Amino acid sequence: MSDSNFKQPVVTEDGERILRYRPGQRYIHLLVAVSFVALFLTGLPLLFEPLSFLAAGGWSRILHRVAAVGFMAVPLLYLIVDREGMKELITESFTYDKDDLRWLGHMGRYFLGNAADMPPQGRLNAGQKLHHAAVIILGAGVVFSGVFVWVSAGTMSDTLLSWSMLIHNLSMIGLVLLLIGHIYFTVVYKALTSMHTGYVPKVDAEIEHAKWVAEIEAREAEARAAQVQSGVTGHAGAETADEKPSED
Amino acid sequence: MSSSFLLDLTQCIGCEGCTVACKTGNELPEGVSYIRIGERISGTFPNLVGGVDNQRCLHCSDAACVNVCPTGALFQEDGLTRVNQDACSGCQFCVQACPFDVPVMANGVATKCDGCRDVVRAGGTPWCVTTCPSNALLFGDHNEIAAEAHARASTMRAKYPNAQVYGERQADGLGVLMVLPDEPEAMGLPLDPEIPTVTEAWQDFAQPIGLGAMGVSILGAGLAAVIARRNHLQEIGQLNQAAAGAGGNDDEVTT
Repeated sequence: MSDSNFKQPVVTEDGERILRYRPGQRYIHLLVAVSFVALFLTGLPLLFEPLSFLAAGGWSRILHRVAAVGFMAVPLLYLIVDREGMKELITESFTYDKDDLRWLGHMGRYFLGNAADMPPQGRLNAGQKLHHAAVIILGAGVVFSGVFVWVSAGTMSDTLLSWSMLIHNLSMIGLVLLLIGHIYFTVVYKALTSMHTGYVPKVDAEIEHAKWVAEIEAREAEARAAQVQSGVTGHAGAETADEKPSED
Repeated sequence: MSSSFLLDLTQCIGCEGCTVACKTGNELPEGVSYIRIGERISGTFPNLVGGVDNQRCLHCSDAACVNVCPTGALFQEDGLTRVNQDACSGCQFCVQACPFDVPVMANGVATKCDGCRDVVRAGGTPWCVTTCPSNALLFGDHNEIAAEAHARASTMRAKYPNAQVYGERQADGLGVLMVLPDEPEAMGLPLDPEIPTVTEAWQDFAQPIGLGAMGVSILGAGLAAVIARRNHLQEIGQLNQAAAGAGGNDDEVTT
């Protein structure tokens, strides 16, 4: 697993809870959340005329840029604090198997709060994968167009400015819609604790992420076997089992 | 009332009187000038057409600056384009969007000619018009100004065969009608100053649709969340019942 485990066990001692988000991931998520909301609130006055008085004087613009630096630091910080986690997130978000496609076909049921009879899902369900993929794409759109407008303020042509702002604003509208969905599912499936403590109850995970739980259990069993084996064999070493050593 | 300026470039002598009167009258900060005078001569000797460039806000009816201003600091009033500097966020979109390069930044906010709003509202005449010694500037009701412009252009055609009125159709009509001694191109003026379609698309479609989608989503999600949360709790209850019925499993599903 990752270096940034911060010593939180993958499964709690009583076996009832599974670590879903490592501390590094939780802090990165917090940075995304805070900077994104700040960016949204400081950008909204430029979109919604009744609030435009908040932008007068340019204070919101300065705050917007401070928050932008925080938001843009996210990929870099994620790479530093939890490289494995970042790799996993990106590859999983763009890889879909048959269960995922079937899951998407039944998404309406999940949307309305029925998780039990959905096709089995891995660490991320297909909806979360789509969500993350869209966040990555729209996030890139909002960042690149924003930086472009920032560095060339006052010097770019009207057409370029309009296109940049169109991309910036449409990406942001997309991200806000995704955020609404994100909060929606958090409420419906009461998922906030995973970002707070890092753990989710195993019984819940079995309903919503069966393949992920199976994977973790297999890995844990493997680790235990390896431990037992190293304890038993000690330096005798004659009867080696053909089990692979655990990654942990 | 819709007011307009008449700017007669067949009469302008480029004395900079208007520039100075404007700057002092409006107490413009250092380095800022609402009027910029230049010389423009076209043709080949001896057939030269001379003129003076009097670059200033032309008060477009379909104004790019007003279109792109996200805070409403730029707005239209009495047929002219005004600036409310207290509402400006300093984004510089207007600086970039104006096809005539008019708005400039001063002390972090956009500024440009506002047709001497306060002077006119107090019953006066804009500073540049008051000062002009060559009868090149007038200010008044749009229709009277338009009539005067055409009268002057037809008189001038005796001397300048290409003399014409500029500004009646550009950007849906300008608040500064000009009498030109030559074709607009020769005077460095765009025949058809355009606002990019993409700007219009944003203002007219993307913005309202986006805001509407956000509002509808929030309302829809709130309503659906109540239903879905209840469904999920019901589902959990059934699972727990089934588990209790099967016995042995005392795990309680909680979410």
